[in-house]
Amino acid sequence: MRELNIYRPIKAELIKVIDESPLIKTFVLVPEQEISFKTGQFIEVTVENVGEAPFTPSSSPLETKQLEVTVMKAGYVTEEMHKMVPGQYMGIRGPYGRGYPLEEFYGKEVLILGGGCGFAPIRSLLYNLKAISDRLRKVTLCYGSKTPEDCIYKPYISELRATPKFEVLRSVDKADASWQEKVGVVTLLLDDVKVDVGNSVAVVCGPPIMMKYGTFKLLDMGYPEDKIYLSMEKNMSCGFGKCGHCAMGHYFVCKDGPVFSYNEVKNSPNIWM
Amino acid sequence: MPSRGDLFRLCFRATDGKMKKVLDRYIVDQPVGTCKEKTFMKVFCLPWNTWLEFLRDILKEYQLIAPLVRDGYADFGEITAANCDRIKYAGNTTTTPLKAFFFPIKENVIRNREKSKRVLLGVPNCDLAALELLDSIYLGGDFEDHFYKESRENTVIFGKDCDDIKDSCHCVSYGLNPYSEKNGDISMSYMEGCVYLSPMSAKGETFLAKFDLSPSEILEALPEQVVLNRDSIATQLNAQTKDVPDEKASRICIEKENHELWRKHASTCVSCGACSFICPTCHCFLLLDRKGFEKVKNWDACQLPGFSRVAAGEDPLAKLSERLKFRYLCKFSYKPDMFHALACTGCGRCIDACIGKINKNEVITQAFQQG
Repeated sequence: MRELNIYRPIKAELIKVIDESPLIKTFVLVPEQEISFKTGQFIEVTVENVGEAPFTPSSSPLETKQLEVTVMKAGYVTEEMHKMVPGQYMGIRGPYGRGYPLEEFYGKEVLILGGGCGFAPIRSLLYNLKAISDRLRKVTLCYGSKTPEDCIYKPYISELRATPKFEVLRSVDKADASWQEKVGVVTLLLDDVKVDVGNSVAVVCGPPIMMKYGTFKLLDMGYPEDKIYLSMEKNMSCGFGKCGHCAMGHYFVCKDGPVFSYNEVKNSPNIWM
Repeated sequence: MPSRGDLFRLCFRATDGKMKKVLDRYIVDQPVGTCKEKTFMKVFCLPWNTWLEFLRDILKEYQLIAPLVRDGYADFGEITAANCDRIKYAGNTTTTPLKAFFFPIKENVIRNREKSKRVLLGVPNCDLAALELLDSIYLGGDFEDHFYKESRENTVIFGKDCDDIKDSCHCVSYGLNPYSEKNGDISMSYMEGCVYLSPMSAKGETFLAKFDLSPSEILEALPEQVVLNRDSIATQLNAQTKDVPDEKASRICIEKENHELWRKHASTCVSCGACSFICPTCHCFLLLDRKGFEKVKNWDACQLPGFSRVAAGEDPLAKLSERLKFRYLCKFSYKPDMFHALACTGCGRCIDACIGKINKNEVITQAFQQG
């Protein structure tokens, strides 16, 4: 039975913490009740007596017993999260919002543009796409980060590169001697991508500035506005369209998004910030 | 088959079990917020002493809240047998908006609280109209706020006829009238030693039927003098607000790019958030976390700095002028589109509360004149 109180979180035990980069950690959580989500939906994670913040799980939506959130240390809630160790408990509410419309991806090539911690929702999407890969033509991931040290999910990247139909291109803004891949902003990777634009959908998730120029470049490449899916980041607090914090023009991002097609939000105010 | 009026007459005089059963079958309980279109034409005339007796009967079972005058201002207060003769029936808005009774300033939303049955007396129509939006937000969609729902269900609302107006009152600008027509449970008018009650919802009908009322008369319509009084206030309001654009015209003029307008009016704004807190339709809140995974829902306001800031630092409403503009767009463009309800009901509280002397109607009128 669904919990009557929409504000009450489910307790979830932290069973593992994975260091992804100096600023990013992945937390593996086992909730006291199973939570199933659609890829792209988000959850609210509570740090007791500190605060609550929205995250899109980075684990597979097909796994319901445990879930993972990948968190960049950015504010006071995430700072406290980074101090937590296995055995401690967090609170979870959700899932909330509208995820990726996977049925729209069937029979198509999927081009994914991700940056920084924006890889978190994308990894969940990739797990899901792998499970339905027989219905897709091809999946290309273009992922950018600041430095090689900031690249997250390194073991997963290797796994993905070995997967048929999946291709991974990476770039860093600033390289070191060990870096063998592209150097420059992530949108440069789009120049190297071989994609049949007319039979493709694009997904963009990352910092606002990357989302903005990534979307513009995809539009230049000929992607129609309704085939570019954006995962918007706003201050989602309640998660169900009541508290007002994530208002973006005529939308509440928590309930009407967080995944929108560019076509839906292009006239909304402040979509890139 | 007895007529509707006969049923009521019988019920009010003889509350035996058999009649109750007939009435229970007759009155269909409707969920909150669905009674908008139903009209009830019965008016019960209670002489003053009968009315006071009715209040005392209500007090036996319900918490009673009504306007009292404190420090020169009318505001809701708890009524007891000792102060029920001091209720201020007349006047216009109360300082506290109606929303505070369903969406308290601060509320622990994890702990269960005691359910208390309440009667709210003397609610002006601008506050009643605000319930349309609040109900859509808190009760609509896939997630129902059961704290709000319980408070709504446990409260019987008596609307009132405003019998004077303040300078900032402008409900008529948005098609509302200064007397209750819907959204509450019972409409209440006062004239020459008599109180006239008329149910506006099934809940109001059931409530009145519960009490052994002895109305001196049951009328088919309000007495002519009450209607004339209502019209007279509406006429005064129309004269006072003749230059205020209606909600559609307001929308068109504030949707236009007009940086100078927002910059000018924001220059005296101090970001105190009073306009939002005092607004009967503003619904925003912040969840604060406590020990034991408890959460406290606090009123929040888009006019406060940081309202829309995300952890990484981006803040679409960082500028004061952007926040001011957002408030007006929220009221006249975003909320009406999203919830098909008025998000400004013309109560004028934001105008009275602003310490920067920003007059909402002047802002909109200027935007309108600039075309």
